[in-house]
Amino acid sequence: MNVRAHVSMVFHLDKCIGCHTCSVACKNIWTDRPGAEYMWWNNVETKPGTGYPTRWEDQLNYKGGWELNDKRELKLRSQNKSNYFQKLFYNPNQPGLDEYYEPWTYRYSDLIDAPEGHDQPTARPISQITGEDIDIQAGPNWDDDLGGSPVYAENDPNLDVLTEDERRVLLEVEQITMMYLPRICNHCANPSCVASCPSGALYKRGEDGIVLVNQDTCRGWRACVAACPYKKVYYNWKTGKSEKCILCYPRIETGQPPACFHSCVGRIRYMGVLLYDADRVEEAMKAPEESLVESQRSVLLDPFDPAVIAGAEANGISPKFVEAAQKSPVWNYVMKWKLALPLHPEFRTLPMLYYVPPLLPVSGRAGDGIYEQNASEFFSSLDNARLPIRYLASLFSAGNEKAVHDVMKRQMAVRYYKRAQDVDDVSTEKVRAVLREAGITEQEAEEIYRMTTLAQLNDRYVMPPIQREENIAGSGCSPEMCKGSCGLGAITAPARGL
Amino acid sequence: MLEQFLFIGLPYIAFAIMVVVSIYRYRVQRFTYTALGSQFLEGNQLRWGSLAWHAGILVILIGHLIPVIAPGLWKALASVPAFLITVELMGIIAAFLSLTGLVVLFCRRVASARVSAVTSTADLLLLLLLIAQVLVGISVASGARWGAAWSASTTTPYLWSLATLHPQTEYITGLPPTVRLHLVLAWCIFLIVPFTRLVHVFSVPVAYLWRPPQKVVWTTRLPQPMGAHTMQLAQDTRRYFLRGALGTAGAAFLLSVGALDRLGRFFRGPAMDQAHQAELLQKKLQRLELAAAERALEIERIEKQYIFVAQLSELSDKDGKYFTDYHMRPALAFKDASGLPLLISAKCTHLGCTVASTMVGGRILCPCHVSWFDVKTGKPAPGAPAKVPLPHIGWVLMDAQGNLVASQGATGERAGEIDMAQAGNLGVYIAKQFEETA
Repeated sequence: MNVRAHVSMVFHLDKCIGCHTCSVACKNIWTDRPGAEYMWWNNVETKPGTGYPTRWEDQLNYKGGWELNDKRELKLRSQNKSNYFQKLFYNPNQPGLDEYYEPWTYRYSDLIDAPEGHDQPTARPISQITGEDIDIQAGPNWDDDLGGSPVYAENDPNLDVLTEDERRVLLEVEQITMMYLPRICNHCANPSCVASCPSGALYKRGEDGIVLVNQDTCRGWRACVAACPYKKVYYNWKTGKSEKCILCYPRIETGQPPACFHSCVGRIRYMGVLLYDADRVEEAMKAPEESLVESQRSVLLDPFDPAVIAGAEANGISPKFVEAAQKSPVWNYVMKWKLALPLHPEFRTLPMLYYVPPLLPVSGRAGDGIYEQNASEFFSSLDNARLPIRYLASLFSAGNEKAVHDVMKRQMAVRYYKRAQDVDDVSTEKVRAVLREAGITEQEAEEIYRMTTLAQLNDRYVMPPIQREENIAGSGCSPEMCKGSCGLGAITAPARGL
Repeated sequence: MLEQFLFIGLPYIAFAIMVVVSIYRYRVQRFTYTALGSQFLEGNQLRWGSLAWHAGILVILIGHLIPVIAPGLWKALASVPAFLITVELMGIIAAFLSLTGLVVLFCRRVASARVSAVTSTADLLLLLLLIAQVLVGISVASGARWGAAWSASTTTPYLWSLATLHPQTEYITGLPPTVRLHLVLAWCIFLIVPFTRLVHVFSVPVAYLWRPPQKVVWTTRLPQPMGAHTMQLAQDTRRYFLRGALGTAGAAFLLSVGALDRLGRFFRGPAMDQAHQAELLQKKLQRLELAAAERALEIERIEKQYIFVAQLSELSDKDGKYFTDYHMRPALAFKDASGLPLLISAKCTHLGCTVASTMVGGRILCPCHVSWFDVKTGKPAPGAPAKVPLPHIGWVLMDAQGNLVASQGATGERAGEIDMAQAGNLGVYIAKQFEETA
């Protein structure tokens, strides 16, 4: 057992209101630079939809992530050691600018310099790359809230699992439904971007599992852009380097949650430590697709298990870290309540960002937006839900419908339980029956309810004790001397001049 | 001379600059080490351009390197005609492949708005230089055929002579100009490598072949020789010291330049323009003339018994006339109440100033310390700084023919008679005889 700690995340999709505050917070801090204008380290997609970059989930085209070959070996889809060299010169799987969108601004001087006339002057849109006039064809969240349907929604790769009839019904205007999918880098435990980097510039931080690009080592070969199945590594066309979400590690190191977490209006985001067995990662990712969710869960280690605690200590994980793992809301969502699922586990990268699938569109199908209250038919309604379970399974469980079904049952059971308390139109027996069928206790239902609706900042973000101050305390440097430094270990402060 | 520069100086300079600047750039600006790929902005043309260029140039580079590294082996192989033909054919195909690639890449850099937005002058210069080099290379291959064979006894020993620091250009003096141009262009490309995106050839990712797929960095466990923060502090200190030292040295340099300039100017003397110089010479001349005149006066006083002072009629009883006595001292000539000359020394007996010539109330004034002297007696006024009276000087009156008419000694003893009616024609002289007696 090789115990490692990982700063992990849960996004509760039922709570996401699609306001993009997270994206804007991230953009303002990290990607408001020349060369990075088109990057959205955090973006919120509307599903069904094609996403950003267009159809990023289509790995037949982009060749991201891992695949099992005939010998049951885990291999990168994008490259191997015999063809990586040729792909330095031209990578056929790398998305180009048009797959994202061409960033633009407006020529505001037109408003001031326009000659006197009868019409209102307008600021023409200009490309932020060439500076020339641009005819805008696409932009960030061009299909937000199903805008542009059915062109975008129809081309969602996840709809491939549905039958023709199901698709037609799903996209009927009167029936159409949607959900939001906020995405950041998953900081995978088996990252394909790291494995693909020819220069060895990408790495996973041992202490907290954050995946980073060493900008001094990156030579701009762009293999990571192709290899990441989530397309969360971006190429900066100005500096010629790859960049990605850094999980705001400077904030984490000062005890603050990342900017997108902190700014989340719907409070959908949870951050906490997970312990996992690094030795088992590769084997677990070789599981057949339908059992990938289970095998991913099996990698995670119980922070209350004495053997795990001992293993953590042996690996240099401090007791404080283990304590944070025990309080982790992510552990509760993923393992204790089994409510959160990884996004596209079939990419076999072991993403450490988990999603609670949205219940509302599913339930809204039953009874014209009025929730079903008959306990016996309560769960059967999931099977003809408005957003088909098979669609969600394509997103969150590699097609394993039972995994999604179980999550939905639990979520509905919690609602049923609370309905009985607040509206008092359901009998205690029925509540108990529902809970029993969902496999959770009353106490757990109460906990889920509290963590989902009432959790305060410190409950949602249980930050690990990797603060810079603690790190400096060991090095014997006075905080005043070290205030310019950043990062966990051997540190070079940003320097200018001589 | 040009030969020496192009084939000895230039390769060494180019190589030195390539090595030093590349290392410097790697150490100081490692962030700029990148291939700066533009596939993201434009992929369709790049696919053909980049693949063709890189495939071609890799073959050609290998073909250029092997003969230099293993000349013996190559010579043996090149003596086999079949091998020679194969190698030359491969070379020319690769050359055209890379030329096509370069042309596509160049057109794309110029034509595509997105790509030209990230194109620097260095990029275009580099592309043009490479195109020129490949063109010259092709013309070498076609004009001076079987380079694979003849290079073994020409360019290869030349390159080895460079590498062993005993440069000898004799090996390549007889070669056609295209070959020599090919060499010079190669040195030029070496020269600009560290200033362009070409540095990416130094970071070809070979280590990927054997590295494990995953990479985990324990940042808290990285080796910290001095302790990261101490190191940072030391770096800062070094930086500040360097800055301070540079500043001080600069200031000292400027100051010493100023001081040295003053010193030099002092020893060099002032720089004068012509007018100034002429004026200065004029003054010198005047001074010399004055000295000459003085000497003339002195000679006159040594030689002559009598020295003319003035016509008696010119003298006035108010304004004295200056003259120089036998001792080269100033003196004044007046006319007294009886119409006779009155000569008195004008050298103040106090500190030797010249006494003013205007008589006021029978007295004359030494302006230096206000000593009034009575003209008749020569006595200074009571209380004046001068205590000793001004001595009178004896005179002689002579008519126009030089006949002595009358005289008076310094102490007033008169001789001869004067007809006052004719006194206007008489000249006043001083006489040596009075001085000698005095």
